[in-house]
Amino acid sequence: MRMAAQAKTITSLAPDYFDIGHYQKLLDTVAEWRGMTEIAVERLLSADDHAAICRLLYLEARLLDSGRLTDWLDLFTEDCVYWLPTDVEGRDPRLTVAWEMNDRRRLEERVERLSTGRAFSQAPPTRTTHFYTNIESFVGTDGTVQVLCQFLIHTNLDGRVSQRAGWNGYVLRQVAGAWRIVVKRISMFDADMPQNNNSFTL
Amino acid sequence: MDDHGTLPLTGTAYAHLFRPGYVHRDLYADPAIFAQEMRHLFGRTWVYVGHESEVPNVNDFMMRSIGRRPVIVTRLDSGDIAVLINRCTHRGALVCRTQRGNAPGFTCGYHAWTYRNDGSCIGVPLKHAYGADFHPRQNSLMRAPRVQSYRGFIFASMNEAVPPLIEHLAGARQMLDQWLDRDGGRPVLVRNGEMQFLTHANWKTVYDNAGDGYHPPFSHTSMLRVFAERYGDVDMQYYSQNFDESPILSKDLGNGHTMLDQRPAMHAHSAWARQHVQPGREVMEAALISQHGRERALQMLDDSTGSGMNLNIFPNLLIIGNQIQLLEPQAVNRTVVRWFSTTLEGAPPEINATRMRMQEDFPSFGEVDDTAQFESCQRGLEDVPELEWVDIRRHMSTGAGRVDTDGLWREPISSDLHLRCYYDAWRRIMEAGEAARQ
Repeated sequence: MRMAAQAKTITSLAPDYFDIGHYQKLLDTVAEWRGMTEIAVERLLSADDHAAICRLLYLEARLLDSGRLTDWLDLFTEDCVYWLPTDVEGRDPRLTVAWEMNDRRRLEERVERLSTGRAFSQAPPTRTTHFYTNIESFVGTDGTVQVLCQFLIHTNLDGRVSQRAGWNGYVLRQVAGAWRIVVKRISMFDADMPQNNNSFTL
Repeated sequence: MDDHGTLPLTGTAYAHLFRPGYVHRDLYADPAIFAQEMRHLFGRTWVYVGHESEVPNVNDFMMRSIGRRPVIVTRLDSGDIAVLINRCTHRGALVCRTQRGNAPGFTCGYHAWTYRNDGSCIGVPLKHAYGADFHPRQNSLMRAPRVQSYRGFIFASMNEAVPPLIEHLAGARQMLDQWLDRDGGRPVLVRNGEMQFLTHANWKTVYDNAGDGYHPPFSHTSMLRVFAERYGDVDMQYYSQNFDESPILSKDLGNGHTMLDQRPAMHAHSAWARQHVQPGREVMEAALISQHGRERALQMLDDSTGSGMNLNIFPNLLIIGNQIQLLEPQAVNRTVVRWFSTTLEGAPPEINATRMRMQEDFPSFGEVDDTAQFESCQRGLEDVPELEWVDIRRHMSTGAGRVDTDGLWREPISSDLHLRCYYDAWRRIMEAGEAARQ
């Protein structure tokens, strides 16, 4: 498998940020994204910041598509959320199961599992090519920097071609001068319908 | 079911598909057999169609299926549940095309024939053209003739003469009771979202896997290795050495129902302590302890951790951990596996949030690999005509089976007992279906 040679980066933290209040913040952010109309000019980021954020997204896509998942993990903050809901209605994750609701620890475990060489769902691995478009960056009402974009992931698993599509919502933060991902919420447009093999990293 | 699938198989229409310790690949690969299963197997026995908490209010409805038959499960004014066949009596169109909602009735989109949610036809446009003696009520939707609930689990049967549900459930009833009676029997709610996995495999492959206590240390190597390296002896690490000698076991519950009972290992000390970590584990535990005291908090967490049961209810209901899994056969080599998640009514928000995150654990780290195995098996069974037989011999001749203290037959965890029991029930029902058609 293409990930097998990568070293592990276990931080072994016991993350303390996933409390009931954290869920409420996530829920509020998603409600804002879903209700978004025209973004007020004063909330838009500068052209330079927008360009830097686009570069982050393109880097993320490149790392995913080339299977460099430990490098991809480095793009996430220590208090990150990687979230793939099962619903398309923005339901409360405290009462709704997700395809993935990962904190930093579980995201690392996910990458480690894929690198064991025994993750049969990814043997052979799904080849992907990520497209990010319609990228909008702005300051959310909570003051955080956020990004909405559409995604199309073209995939091939052992000769079988398929696509995933939808929109991503990101919350970003600058860490040591570089933009990093605090929240990545992947909203597949058909998340509530049968899914075949999403065990690669979206 | 007192032969536990070990008696020599005899029969007529389907005898050629079985020999001791083996079943024929046509059971997984032949579209004609699949069509007969949809008619006979799903047409003659009890089939789970949903949970009462999914349709709590009068006029609530949801679309489900009985085999391939599209049905609508409705909550009537009386509070009773009806199961309507979702096929307009006119030209066959679906009268309901919405997965769930609330409505007192359904109007076919094609010619506007209209039905109440008890199935009765109350409106046919321009009905004079059918003659003076035409009455809409003679054209009501077909209803599943038998509908019964067991403690919230709704079952329906197309067979008027099916034995009572309780009789059908046999030994699975007491296991369902044990599953429901955790945490003081707080009511289980089934409206917390679901994962729908599409697998390009025969639907029985999934059932075979649910009762298979042989595959975990192999198919789930990646998951177990990551957990062991990080956390040591947690989760299913008891599947390491000589797991056939361990206290976990496989049980025959009668009528094709079976169970893998992992509770003797998973719950031996504390289910919560053994549970693989999930987002928020430490902060949720701390919050519960500060609100409810240590003893009560840990009790609630223990009772909300995976049940340690793989309860397999013939023909297509699987209860795994805290989830309800429903197999929806779509074609001989295409199945949708629906994982309904559950919460507990009135439980603290920290408990239910923790339940959600625990219920993402196995699907994400384990089920994905099993699904790949199903598709891999399907390939081998469909594409190699020279090799016709599938091996289901484990513990057939070891003499390791015995009657357990609860009176149920048990075998070591890695046994193929579940397959032998399943196919005994399969044959009985399928042969009866063929006989009835003659």
